[in-house]
Amino acid sequence: MVTHYKCPNCGSDMSFDSESGHLSCPSCGRQDEIESFPEENIIKEFDSEEVKEYHCENCGAIILTDANTTATNCSFCSAPVVLSDRLTGEFAPSKVVPFKISKDEAVAAFRAWTKKGRLSPTSFKSGERIKKMTGMYVPFWLYDIEGSANVTALATKVRTYTRGDTVYTETDFYDIHRELDLRYLKVPADASEKMDDELMDKLEPYDYGELKDFKMPYLAGYLAEKYDYDDEAMFSRVESKVLPYIDSYISSTVSGYSTVNYSNKNIHTQKKNVHYALFPVWMVYYDFEKKEHTFAMNGQTGKVVGKPPISGFKVAGWFTGIAASALLAMKAVSFIWGGVLW
Amino acid sequence: MVKKVNFKAPLLFCLMLFLLFISSSTAFAVADRHIYDEGNLLSDSEIAELEAVAAEHSRKHDVDFLLLTSDDPEIFFITNFMGDFFDDWAEENNQENAVLLTINSATRDVYLAGFGTAQRSLDNQRVELVLDRIMNEMRANDFDAAFHKTVTTASRYMEFRPGVNPEHIFFKNWFQILIAVLLGALIVGIMIYNSGGRITTTARTYFDDQNSKVITKKDVFRNKTVTRRKVQKQSSGGGGSFGGGGGSTGGGRSFSGGWRKF
Repeated sequence: MVTHYKCPNCGSDMSFDSESGHLSCPSCGRQDEIESFPEENIIKEFDSEEVKEYHCENCGAIILTDANTTATNCSFCSAPVVLSDRLTGEFAPSKVVPFKISKDEAVAAFRAWTKKGRLSPTSFKSGERIKKMTGMYVPFWLYDIEGSANVTALATKVRTYTRGDTVYTETDFYDIHRELDLRYLKVPADASEKMDDELMDKLEPYDYGELKDFKMPYLAGYLAEKYDYDDEAMFSRVESKVLPYIDSYISSTVSGYSTVNYSNKNIHTQKKNVHYALFPVWMVYYDFEKKEHTFAMNGQTGKVVGKPPISGFKVAGWFTGIAASALLAMKAVSFIWGGVLW
Repeated sequence: MVKKVNFKAPLLFCLMLFLLFISSSTAFAVADRHIYDEGNLLSDSEIAELEAVAAEHSRKHDVDFLLLTSDDPEIFFITNFMGDFFDDWAEENNQENAVLLTINSATRDVYLAGFGTAQRSLDNQRVELVLDRIMNEMRANDFDAAFHKTVTTASRYMEFRPGVNPEHIFFKNWFQILIAVLLGALIVGIMIYNSGGRITTTARTYFDDQNSKVITKKDVFRNKTVTRRKVQKQSSGGGGSFGGGGGSTGGGRSFSGGWRKF
């Protein structure tokens, strides 16, 4: 099933505009609210051979996608299409963070980011070799987590003081017991196999203030994927993200001691709610020295992640500079303090 | 940022070098004779060589580096022997600033003293540090090397501001270079690590304040232990008995100093 959003004015294919948050028509410039877009302008075409093959409503060409794509552009006429049957039933997302950064802004933000790379080769910093920018909705599972912790510990407070020529060390021992009920809301884990987990983790956080109930028109004009892993499969990954949070919360409740030795630490986590959400990501494919580098940009906040090339020359320069400055600083201190340079 | 520092720092460095050069090149008039080998512990060639070394360093600090030896088993207090010698020497040479190493090979005493300005520039602590470093030569009866080392070590210590421990690890070149290299490696390492983007989520990012709570918070005092430890008086270790800490000569000249048996 292919869905097009036809402009009520001129009949062109409308796409989502990140700046206004509306559907916008590339031909006549008309803007429509997603919530109130007229039903009769949503053209859905059911394919007679059912799934697998889609035809573009605009030009009739066969739309070629891989099995997980849920939104794309027709490769012939580039009309934005949403493959809506891949977004229904169990694959229906409940939430979406819409794109806030347009393609032009993304290009500018990426260029600004390459300039900030202190260790990148100078030719990389020009940021001129963007091969492709792809706006993509990446599927995430958002977990509401209930955590409970039951912790016992032995803590000490140590006090040292001197009376005459005797040093006294007083150690007070305390039995510590903590029972905590901790909640975490919408902890994300990306559910797409294609996306690098580390990269996606670094893209966080997204501003949930702009988290919207899912509507298909948000996807028009972008690529979108459906999940490869269900929420059960991803829970262990989220759990491993949350456990350090719980640990740090526990230690924050045990404060004011010199030493703390945990004798017993029982932590349980379970998921209370799971939301299937789509998050906006700009994928940047950048050619540098005959190699393609892939970067990802948070489509909402503009944060860029991905390994930039490192220039050995600049690394050596920074190292030398820092080491030499440190040495000089120490020489200055030894001159001021001791009156000698060496 | 670094470029700026790189540019300014060598300039400052050159200035310091220049100042150091000026201060060290100022030569003072010194006594003609520094070695008083009354115990005949040194050969003529050794004396000639030590005279040269002593004169060189004496010029640098306006402090005469003197060696007095004896093989008289009747000398009971080496400080008196030394004090009497220095009272005469100071009158004769009209010079109050001196570092004096006194060796009695018969009683196996060694005393190092600082007079005049050397009382401050070679204080008791520094005297002990010098003695620590020459005790091996003393025990081997290598008095030539012992005095040579005394002059060079004391001369080096006297370059430091009075009161500062010249053997402090911070003044060691290897230590400064090590710290500089470690710091450079650490900072550049962090820069490389962070070049791919940092994780900016924290334990607070997804935390639900409203519904999280501490159910039990119990801190129960269990017991108390007290340990006592006597403070050890500072000692500079090393073999042989030692004592001192300066005093005054019969002629009323006060000095810093330290005494050891070898």
